[in-house]
Parts: sequence; C-alpha cells; structure tokens
Amino acid sequence: MAAEAAAAGRLWLSACRAGGHWRRLCSAGLLRGFLQPASAVGDAARRRQLAHFTFQPDPEHQDYGQTQKMNLFQAVTSALDNSLAKDPTAVIFGEDVAFGGVFRCTVGLRDKYGKDRVFNTPLCEQGIVGFGIGIAVTGATAIAEIQFADYIFPAFDQIVNEAAKYRYRSGDLFNCGSLTIRSPWGCVGHGALYHSQSPEAFFAHCPGIKVVVPRSPFQAKGLLLSCIEDKNPCIFFEPKILYRAAVEQVPVEPYNIPLSQAEIIQEGSDVTLVAWGTQVHVIREVASMAQEKLGVSCEVIDLRTILPWDVDTVCKSVIKTGRLLISHEAPLTGGFASEISSTVQEECFLNLEAPISRVCGYDTPFPHIFEPFYIPDKWKCYDALRKMINY
Amino acid sequence: MALAARAARVWGSRRGWRQHPRWQQEQHFSSLDDKPQFPGASAEFVDKLEFIQPNVISGIPIYRVMDRQGQIINPSEDPHLPQEKVLKFYKSMTLLNTMDRILYESQRQGRISFYMTNYGEEGTHVGSAAALDNTDLVFGQYREAGTTAFREQKQMGGPGRFQPGSRLTSECKEGSNTRTEENQCVLMYRDYPLEQFMAQCYGNVNDPGKGRQMPVHYGCKERHFVTISSPLATQIPQAVGAAYAAKRANANRIVICYFGEGAASEGDAHAGFNFAATLECPIIFFCRNNGYAISTPTSEQYRGDGIAARGPGYGILSIRVDGNDVFAVYNATKEARRRAVAENQPFLIEAMTYRIGHHSTSDDSSAYRSVDEVNYWDKQDHPISRLRHYMQSRGWWDDEQEKAWRKQSRKKVMEAFEEAERKLKPNPSLLFSDVYQEMPAQLRKQQESLTRHLQTYGEHYPLDHFEK
Repeated sequence: MAAEAAAAGRLWLSACRAGGHWRRLCSAGLLRGFLQPASAVGDAARRRQLAHFTFQPDPEHQDYGQTQKMNLFQAVTSALDNSLAKDPTAVIFGEDVAFGGVFRCTVGLRDKYGKDRVFNTPLCEQGIVGFGIGIAVTGATAIAEIQFADYIFPAFDQIVNEAAKYRYRSGDLFNCGSLTIRSPWGCVGHGALYHSQSPEAFFAHCPGIKVVVPRSPFQAKGLLLSCIEDKNPCIFFEPKILYRAAVEQVPVEPYNIPLSQAEIIQEGSDVTLVAWGTQVHVIREVASMAQEKLGVSCEVIDLRTILPWDVDTVCKSVIKTGRLLISHEAPLTGGFASEISSTVQEECFLNLEAPISRVCGYDTPFPHIFEPFYIPDKWKCYDALRKMINY
Repeated sequence: MALAARAARVWGSRRGWRQHPRWQQEQHFSSLDDKPQFPGASAEFVDKLEFIQPNVISGIPIYRVMDRQGQIINPSEDPHLPQEKVLKFYKSMTLLNTMDRILYESQRQGRISFYMTNYGEEGTHVGSAAALDNTDLVFGQYREAGTTAFREQKQMGGPGRFQPGSRLTSECKEGSNTRTEENQCVLMYRDYPLEQFMAQCYGNVNDPGKGRQMPVHYGCKERHFVTISSPLATQIPQAVGAAYAAKRANANRIVICYFGEGAASEGDAHAGFNFAATLECPIIFFCRNNGYAISTPTSEQYRGDGIAARGPGYGILSIRVDGNDVFAVYNATKEARRRAVAENQPFLIEAMTYRIGHHSTSDDSSAYRSVDEVNYWDKQDHPISRLRHYMQSRGWWDDEQEKAWRKQSRKKVMEAFEEAERKLKPNPSLLFSDVYQEMPAQLRKQQESLTRHLQTYGEHYPLDHFEK
C-alpha cells in the first residue's frame, strides 16, 4: 500500500509541472543505454522513501445505495459529475481541467456536459477566483480549480477581501455562496516548496469562507458535495498524496457529509488526537502504537472542517481524556493547531492533565530532499504522546 | 496511431494533434510551404530586425459628437434623443452634482465620516447608463454614482432574469420605496432615491448595506448595481464571470464594468480582459480615464497609449471617447452593448475625462496640481455645461428653468439629507449577521458576549444613536 503510494506519487508529479522532461528523455531512448536498475546499485538508503502513512479505508457505508471502488480523484470526479447532472447552472473551470486535469479529477466531464460547462481558463489564479465569484453572484454554481494549493496566493485578495466579505458588506443584497474552490493540498513525497503546502491556516483567519479537508474518497465526495451546495464560498483542499493511494467503496449516488462537524473515528479514554487530511492516517497508526506499546487508549478525531470548526466535539473529548495532541504538516507557528490549542485551554483548562501538544512541520519552507525529516511522522507524534502521558 | 491519440489527449482538442511540436518534426512539409506553423501566433515571417514602436505621440483618436460648446459636429452622429430623455440626462447629472456638494460639505462639518465626489465625470456615468438595459448588471469602482438614475422602479423583477430563482431579482418588490436604492450617477440614472444614497453615507437604519461600509459603497439589487468594495479592480474579473453566466443563461443581457485608469494597472484588470476575450463574454469594460489616481498622474501610471491601446493586445474591440460628451459616451456604449450581446464578445471603452474634485474628503489635490488646471476643466470643458448649451440651443432649457431646477434639486437633497441625519443607526447585533448565510456557533457566542458586555459597560458606548 505504502509502496504503491510512493510510486503513485512519483508518477503523477512527473505528469504535471515538475517532471515533463523526464518522460521526453525516456521516450527518446537516451537513458536506456547507461542507467542501471536501482537494485544493481545496491544501496537501500539511496532508494526513494516509502510513504509515511498507511491509508485505512473506512468500513463500507450501507446507507447510500450502490457503491463502487474509487480512489480519491475518482470520488472527486463522481461528486462533480453528480453536481453537474443535477444543477444545470454548475460549471467547472481552471487550468487544464478540460482534458481531465493534472490529477485526473475532471476526466470525462467536458465530453459529458459540454465545453461551456467544463473549460480551461488562462493561467491566472486571481482571474480564476474573481471569475468564479462573478458567476456565483448571478446565482449560478461555480466550481473553480486552483492547480496546487501552493498557487492559491495570487487569489488571496479575491478570496479574503471579496468572496468572504460579499454577503456581509452588501447587507445580504449580494453573495457568492455558490462558489467552491478546489485545490490539491499537502505533502506528496517529493513536492518540495511549491507542490506540498497546506495553507489552511491563512484562510482560517478569514470569517466568511469555509475551509474543508477530507481524509478519504468517501469523505471527499460527501464533503465536496456539501461544499458545492453550501450557501457560502468554500475552499476544498484535496490531499494529493491520497488521490491514488486512498481507495475504498464510495456510493455512486450523491450524498452529503455535514460541514463544521468533526468525526470521532476511534473512541478512547486517555488522549485525544486531532488531525485532518492525510495526517488522520498517521495519528490513527499512532493510536495503535500507543495501545500496543503503552496500553494507552486514544480518541482519534478527524476535524474535517477547519473553518468554522467543531469546537464542541473536540472540547467534549478533551474533557473526557484530559490530554490533547494536534498534528498537521503545515508549519508550527500560526498553524491551525494554535487556534485549537488556544480555544481548548480556554474551555477545558481545569480538565487538562498535561500541556496541549502540537506536532507539526517545522517553521521552514517545505523542503525537497529533507521531507522525511520535516514531516510530523508517526514517531514524532508517538514521542510527543509518550511525553504527555508521562507528564 | 496510438501515440497520436495519446498526444491528442495530452494536448487537447483546441490544438489538434497535428500541431504537436513532436509531430511537426516528423511531418513532411512541402518545400514551397514556408509559412510559420507555430500554434501561438498567426503571422508571416520577416527577415528584417525591427522593434515595433509603441505609438504614444499620436494615440488612438477620441470620438466625440459635440464640441466643447455643446454643438453637434457631425449631424449623422447625433443620437437624436427625445427631449424628455435628454432632460433626464441633465437632471441626473445636476442632481448628482448638488448631492455631491452637500455631502462633501457634510463631511467637512463632521456629519458623515467620508465622501467622494463625482465632479467632472457625470457625463461618463449618465451617457453609459442610459445606453444600457435596466437589467444589465453593473459592477462599479466607486465613482459611478450617476449610473443608477435611469433605472425605473417598475422594471424591477421583470422578465429575463439571469437564472430561474436568481438571487438577483427574486426579492424585487415592484413599486416598493422602502429599502430601495437610488445610487449615485449610474445609480442616479436608475432612479435610486436620494434617501438611499444618504442612508448609506450615514449608515443609518435605512441603509440596505446595514451600516457595514464606508460612505459611497452603494449597492442595489433591484437596480442591478453590485455593491461597491474598496479594493480596486477586484470587480473586473468578477464582472467577466457574471457576463459568462449571463451568456450561458441566454439572458440577453450584458455586464458593464467601470474602473479608473489607475485601477487598470492592477493584475485583476489584466486577468479580467484576458478571461473576457478567451471565454467570449458579453461585457463592456468602461474605463474612466480622469487623469489622476489620487495624486498619481497618468504619466506615472502607464507609458503606453492609455487603456484603449491595451484592448487589442487581448483581442478586444476598443474605442476611446470624449467622456465629457454625454452623447459620445451614449453612442459608444449603445453600439458596444448591441454587439456584445449579439456577438458574445467584450468591448473596451476608454472615456477620457477629468477629475475636477479631490480624490476624496481625505485628499487636498492642490498639493499636486494647479488650481488653473482644475479651473480649465470646470469652466471650459464640463459635461454638464456642454449638455446645457446643447439643450439651450434647441430651446429645451433656459436660465429661468436652470434657476428653478437648482433650487428644487437643492431642496430635494436637503430634505433627504436632514431626514437621513435624524435616523438612528442599526441595532449593534447587525455587526454579527451575514458573515455566513447562517450564524456559526462561535460567532453567536461572541455576539452574546458583546450583549453581556454592554449590559455592564453600556454607558461608554454611543448606544443612544443606535436602534434598540
């Protein structure tokens, strides 16, 4: 599973911005002559790192009708397909979405729904989001794609100063609630500074928008459909490392998973672990390690919606366990764990048995070759948990 | 063949696999066929090294209908508008002018916090607004108050809404006067009531914007005038998106987007132009080139031939007009509208004008320009006086009517003004609503905490001025 994930990670990034040249060199036959297979080199340390997590699918959901095996990008396609089928005003646009998208999330949709509904835009994120706001202002459904979350920043003004404030500043005369922005997010093994970022904290500071991160294909489809139907502008971050690595049974028909509701995916009594996206699978493993090695029972929570976040579920859990560990890939300082930590200590101060622990990326840009050292992997989380237990 | 098919998937149908660079090397070209094959441009080869010289000495000419004295130059360009309509042009511009004077003064006296006048640019608002349909969507910057005067209340909620159940028109109340907005000149032209202009400037209980924004940030759903925001040029790509949606809805409507020559420097302007052209949107980009962006003259804003010259760079049909000639503005906008909706393509109109007033009440423009320069425009080339001469030469207006109208318009403005000033501000709980469609739990907690705080410390807050 993990090897697959790593291989998958290599394959897609080479399909898009980073590695186009590699494929041309290979097909020109230049490398066959002098490259030896990696195993012949003999040094295991030089082989690329395996993924830092193991995707754990949820048990198949029975309540939503017929299901189909889908990976995360296929679940996204399914959600988009459902949306365009039932909402004739819905359109999908962004860079390269017409041919199917650099991560294949929009494959087949242009053929099915027409070129006026699934179309490429020029390479301009501020234009993509501004354009999407305008569509939404007229009441039509706008689903914008930003090719990588790392490139969302040119659109920051349109998101924060415009989309988020549209309803408030106009006294509810106008709004852009039918806008959803989707963007690949998070570490992928080799993405480095500009293909690995998790910028949710920047947007968490912006009242008026919603920010959502799924952990799996089933979650992704339900949450994305909720975002699209939500009457507020939403940003939906899709963990790119899970696009192929995460596979599970996903309902074919549309269904909704509510926003602003965290999910307790494993109940426990001694420590509360909170994460979102890919990191949920890391902390799930940490929970197993804690049980096995320390006899500690962990309550694992997937936050799912970053803004507005489910304070009640997290606080209720901490009141029960007395200990909280929050983990995210994004840098520590000003990361969203700070907000959770601050609120929890306000609400649950007397229940806390130990300081709240944050296991996050370092305060550096996201490095390339040093990624295995940078990410908040299960060993760092386990170690922090151990310290909390022994506090 | 399999390779070709794969290439087609990668490169997309818009280029076609035959134009893939790899395929060009392997194709057999006739030796006589020496034409360029690049997908990126349709052009001939040239073997002389020569840079294209941008033409700024003799730029794009300025279309006008009247001379500075209000006389028609070429009779075939006179739109021959009926007297009633021309009178409406004049009254919209002058009413706006009167309202500007009073509200500017009121800011100086500390009665409102901020104001921006429209002096000298009234022609751009009214000429363009009059050429639109009442249901065409307007995205403004902040100096387009005159555009809402022409929009009759009885056309609100009419046929041809953007979308079934569209939020744009679903709450229109025909003939309703409460909470309707008659915004400045573009708004003035669409009959936005004076009371509503004032309500927004005062942020009182009648402000449909619920007191959230600084003065002049008007908005009116019934008159299809999208609420103004302070960041410049952000409305430009939004207007393009709205136009795209109008095209898809077959709404037979266009979108007009106003901005100044300073805002045209923003990246959002570039984004908007490029998207409108590539996505074939029925939109009019209307640039008010008034010579200054606060204190920055156009010589420090751009080096090319203004904004009109940029249009062709994006593939957009463009024109430059005399913005102080209300008929030139009208004719250009009318034709652009007709073609935009028929051909689904954008148009760029650069209206040359002059900002006679200061940028805002926070500005004193004598710090960066001469009084003589300002006086020239005020006295020698003003849209209001040019139209007045036109009307007078036809016997549609005279000094007596002028005197009577000035008195009447001033009275109307003062009445609305005093009324607005007397009203309370909205309840402070409105600080918290409309952030989202529904109020999140955390925000409700914060609202409750303010309520509790005011119960103890209320005496330190201006609660008397606010509705309970």
